[in-house]
Order: sequence, then C-alpha cells, then structure tokens
Amino acid sequence: MSIEIDVSLLSHQYTKGQQVVEVNGSTVGQCLDDLVKQFPSIKQGLFDGNGKLHSYIGIYVNGESAYPEVLAKPVKDRDKLHIIFLIGGG
Amino acid sequence: MLTTDELERYERQIIIEGFGEEGQEKLKRAKVFIAGAGGLGSPVSIYLMAAGVGMIRIVDHDRVELSNLNRQVLHWDEDIGRRKIDSALEKLKRLNQGVKIEAIEETITEANVLQLVADFDLIVDAMDNLPTRYVLNKAALESNIPFFHGAVYGFEGRAMTIIPGQTACLRCVYRGRITPQEKFPVLGVTPAVIGCIQATEVIKYIVGIGELLTNRLLIYDGLNLKFTEFKVKKDPNCEHCSRLASKE
Repeated sequence: MSIEIDVSLLSHQYTKGQQVVEVNGSTVGQCLDDLVKQFPSIKQGLFDGNGKLHSYIGIYVNGESAYPEVLAKPVKDRDKLHIIFLIGGG
Repeated sequence: MLTTDELERYERQIIIEGFGEEGQEKLKRAKVFIAGAGGLGSPVSIYLMAAGVGMIRIVDHDRVELSNLNRQVLHWDEDIGRRKIDSALEKLKRLNQGVKIEAIEETITEANVLQLVADFDLIVDAMDNLPTRYVLNKAALESNIPFFHGAVYGFEGRAMTIIPGQTACLRCVYRGRITPQEKFPVLGVTPAVIGCIQATEVIKYIVGIGELLTNRLLIYDGLNLKFTEFKVKKDPNCEHCSRLASKE
C-alpha cells in the first residue's frame, strides 16, 4: 500500500529537503517504521528511547487526528499522513 | 452609539457587508484580555486597538531586551530595559485614544489567572510558553470565556479558536509537554502572521460574522508558504474540558 507522509515541517532537519515521502504500511506505526528505514535519523525526532512516539508529536491521517491509538490506526492505499509538532513560542 | 469621529475612523470596516455600525458598536462594547506583550501580543493588541474594541487588558512580566526587537514591534530601541507593559501602554494609547487600555505587570499563574480574566469577554493567548497556555486554556473553560490560541516557532505558526462547552479545547489537541526554551528561534514576521489571524478571529467572534477557526487547527508553514488545516475533535478524556463537562 502506498501512503504519503508530509514531512515538510521536518524536511530541513531530517529528509534533505524532501517534503513528501512515500511509504508502505497498513497502520500508522508501520508507515512510520518505513519512514525511519528511508531516513534513519528521523527516528530520534519521532520516538523516545522506549520506542514510544514523543508526546509532543501529533499524527494526522487525511487531515484528522490519529489519536488515541495512534500507531495502531489503520491506513489504506493513498491515505495522506502529516506529522505535527507541538510548539509553544510567542 | 458611535460618535461622528468613530463613524469616520472605522468607516472602511463598517462598510464591509455584514459588519455595519452594529458590528462596530459590538466591538466598542467588548473587553479583551491579552496574555503577553511580546511577539504575538504586539500585532494582536495593535490591530484590536486600531479596530476599536472597547477595552484591552494586556499582561506581561518581562522587560524589553535588544533580542526582542526583531519581532516585538510594540517595543523599540529606546525601550530597552523598560517594562514591556509600560512600553506597550505608551504606544497603544497613542495609536487610538478611543480604546480603554490597562497594562498589568504580572506573571500569569493558576493562582491569579481567574482574577485576571474575570469580567473579560475574550482571552487571547499571546504567551511564549506552553505551561501558561494550559493555565489560560483551563481558566477560559472554567470562566466560559472564548479563547484564541496562537503559537510560533521559526517560520511556523499555529492558530485555533476555542469556544468553551462547544468546541475542542487546546488540551484536546496538545497533550504533551515540551520543555520551555529560554530562546526559541523565530522570524519576526511569523508572529505577525499568526497574531493577525488571532485578531481576525477575535473581531469575527465579537461582530458575529464569518466562520471561526473552531475544531480546526491551522498550521502556517512560512518556509514553504503553506497553510494547512487539520480537523480536531473534543477529546472525551481531555483533562481540561471533559472534567468541565462532568461538572455541568
């Protein structure tokens, strides 16, 4: 299954400027694993030492939050994922 | 009732369809609480003053530093070392003498927030840290006051409008913690964009026109010049608004 992940908010840090990455998987977790395979350095930006998604990250599937069972959330062919960071500046 | 001067001063917005003198009178009666006189607080307060809201209370505890001046446009070279509230008060008074303005030097905490926002119609989140945003979100819910969120980082910004008891709150969307940074990267125009969006939402809410940014998180990516919108829902287990619902 081909899923697109929009990583534009991370692109300058982890994906060498690539804003959309095509991944395979049937759950959000599998898609993120595939993303990490393609760009290993992104792992530290997404997961803590125990493999849990950082609490300041939100994953959206087709514009809707994947919360609460984020990693187990099923996805289907051509779904679009966005990775959003919590920010606090003002 | 609007004066002759007010009718002339606000003419260009009064002639907007759906706005009218009635909308301007609503603005004139509104009392807006702005938390922060920094990067976001500057454009929010400037445009709400210019639009002719009735009263603004702006709260901040900092003094102006040289490194603030790339984005905090209320404060100028000559203000370095002054209290931000004094610098803000001076400029805002000169901008529009028809608006009542009150500037308070205070750190917003759980202990004082309810007292600070009491009797205000709207709360604008122009803070520079997440923990205080959570304090404001909770206070807005408890006091049943609409809350206008904004946040920035680098070229990025977020905005969302919260109507207590009706829409998702900030905590429904932001569940995690981030360590407050003493210095976060930011380009001056990013809070200008987000602050203007917050001010737009405030004006729309008061006047009662348009569609509010409720149950939607707006993300601004200035680097790629993209606005993206995400649907958000009330979290039934939200530690702020679900408790409130159970009290009702």
